[in-house]
Amino acid sequence: MSAKPKVAFFDFTSCEGCQLTVIDSLQTHPEILDVIDIVCFREAMSEKGDDYQIAFIEGSCTRPSDEPVMQAIRDRAELVVALGACAHLGGINAIRNRFDLDDVRQYVYGDKAEWYETYQARPIKAVIPIDAVLPGCPIDRREFVAALKALLQGRAIQIPDYPVCVECKLKENICVYLRGKTCLGPITRAGCDAICPTYGDGCEGCRGLIPDPNIDSLKQILSEHGLNPDETLAKMTLFLNYQTMEREAADDDQENG
Amino acid sequence: MSFKVIPKVALPEWIDHLCTGYRVVGPKPLHGQHIFSDIQSAVELDLGYPTTVIPPKKYLLPQREDLIRFKSDGNQIHVEEVIETKPTVVLGIHTCDLHAIQLLDRVFYQGFSDQHYRAHRENTYLVSIECLQPCIPQSFCKSMGTLSVTDGFDLHLTDIGDDYAVDIETEKGAALLDGFSAVRDVTDEEYRLFNRVVSEKWARFPLRLDFDITELPSLLSVSYESKLWDELGERCLACGMCTNVCPTCYCFNVTDEVDFTLSAGKRIRIWDSCQLDKFATVSGGHNFRSSRAHRQRHRFFRKGKYQMDAYGLLGCVGCGRCGQACLADIKIVDTLNDLYHRHANNREQERLL
Ligand code: SF4
Ligand code: SF4
Ligand code: SF4
Ligand code: SF4
Ligand code: SF4
Repeated sequence: MSAKPKVAFFDFTSCEGCQLTVIDSLQTHPEILDVIDIVCFREAMSEKGDDYQIAFIEGSCTRPSDEPVMQAIRDRAELVVALGACAHLGGINAIRNRFDLDDVRQYVYGDKAEWYETYQARPIKAVIPIDAVLPGCPIDRREFVAALKALLQGRAIQIPDYPVCVECKLKENICVYLRGKTCLGPITRAGCDAICPTYGDGCEGCRGLIPDPNIDSLKQILSEHGLNPDETLAKMTLFLNYQTMEREAADDDQENG
Repeated sequence: MSFKVIPKVALPEWIDHLCTGYRVVGPKPLHGQHIFSDIQSAVELDLGYPTTVIPPKKYLLPQREDLIRFKSDGNQIHVEEVIETKPTVVLGIHTCDLHAIQLLDRVFYQGFSDQHYRAHRENTYLVSIECLQPCIPQSFCKSMGTLSVTDGFDLHLTDIGDDYAVDIETEKGAALLDGFSAVRDVTDEEYRLFNRVVSEKWARFPLRLDFDITELPSLLSVSYESKLWDELGERCLACGMCTNVCPTCYCFNVTDEVDFTLSAGKRIRIWDSCQLDKFATVSGGHNFRSSRAHRQRHRFFRKGKYQMDAYGLLGCVGCGRCGQACLADIKIVDTLNDLYHRHANNREQERLL
């Protein structure tokens, strides 16, 4: 084993945009290649090694055959890091979880629906234990770089536990609510430097919920700003559907139990 | 020190003059609001602005700032202080924000003074401006006693129609007018006009607090167990906007960033907020203010009592920024009035019993 940690990248159901961001980081920080050995990265190289300590996984689990592949990665790697919204939250793939699966398959694949084994989309932590998460759609380049440094130092990866509004205000953006739009920034985990509000659009929640979000209060605010319940639900279930359904299930449990 | 007049038509010339020797910043419009930002010429500047998203404290305590650089050669760690500052003229500071800077000065100079704050402060020229119209509906400066200033600025401007009356308070202020030929002595007529303008303005500003501000610390003392804090906690999003836009808030976090050699890096500080979930989490994971209600209470006590106890000034200058920013519509002045009336009602009930 070389002194440099061996790192591998894998993808499941996703757009591979997070891995593109990794490639982007290698261009802005070529010194990364001095400190790690990349042994497997389908999107960037043809060599394939299966001896690695750190595995970054992009994408959600959307079919039974994903599970043993994820398990094999877990068995080999010392550390598994979920890369991006699909791996972290199920991503936009999990929108379908709110609908009847047969209808969804019919809608997407038509008369070929039976050929596909696809089921509900889940974050990878629903299949295997993970050690850390890099949120976002796509991941944030600076956060990826900081995460690598933390791993090299033998420290836990730190991601913000406060909402996007903090970064947004520190940049002195004009709040999009004052510009006639709505935003999930108050309940969404920061770390993207509030990129969407910075360019004048509301946050869609791609980095997932903060640890103790006040969703009831935000829903009230969304309705005061003109969203009807359907529009609010659509917002809460774009990137956040898996987390929203988890919360709904927990609420049901509380009511029934 | 002395009193002069700058004709408004000469403002562009003054700004050009300042730009040759200083970084000049001032209020600029942006998407229907204003922010303090760098100014290259007078056309960018809007001295009639209502308020800004973030107060000018950002020039004294930047949102994010490098403090030191460090490097280890294996045996020894070398540390180098980083202070990045250049002479900066802040134009158009409202009096509420100037009062807030007086509090920041006490906080950062008292005891072990903060060398970064000190470096910025000493390199910053404060040019304030008299407010003649109320700014935003959420403000309540008149109730807080911050609608005027007698000191704390280098220059203070008052709009008297065709000219700005300029109160020159310090040598630093006088230096900003050095070599600027359009500044001239005030005439008797202009001085009378100035006095009329600043006395007539008061009637335009509402007193928004229902009680005398000197009662605030004691009102809070008897309201620690109020239900109001729970009610605020239900609405609050813990987004930290109220503290990040506040001219008197100064809490920060300090972290280290290393480069890929893992042997060199820098220490930075970045604004923090008592409203955030993990602000009061200590090692071992215990959070001694884990509920939003407790954090809201803490914020109001900081503003209305703790700062007074520690520094002799209130921690709120009534600028109204927090109330404007808060999506949950939590406003300082409404909350304080609510507390006051609840307390008065309780007393009344007790009397009747
Ligand atoms: S634009 Fe969004 S993230 Fe920014 S302050 Fe407003 S609500 Fe928060
Ligand atoms: S602002 Fe929101 S939607 Fe945009 S990148 Fe950040 S977390 Fe994602
Ligand atoms: S701005 Fe409002 S919602 Fe946000 S932390 Fe402050 S009081 Fe709470
Ligand atoms: S607490 Fe609110 S009103 Fe008071 S000084 Fe701070 S931002 Fe202004
Ligand atoms: S709060 Fe008062 S002093 Fe401050 S900007 Fe508004 S009007 Fe001026």
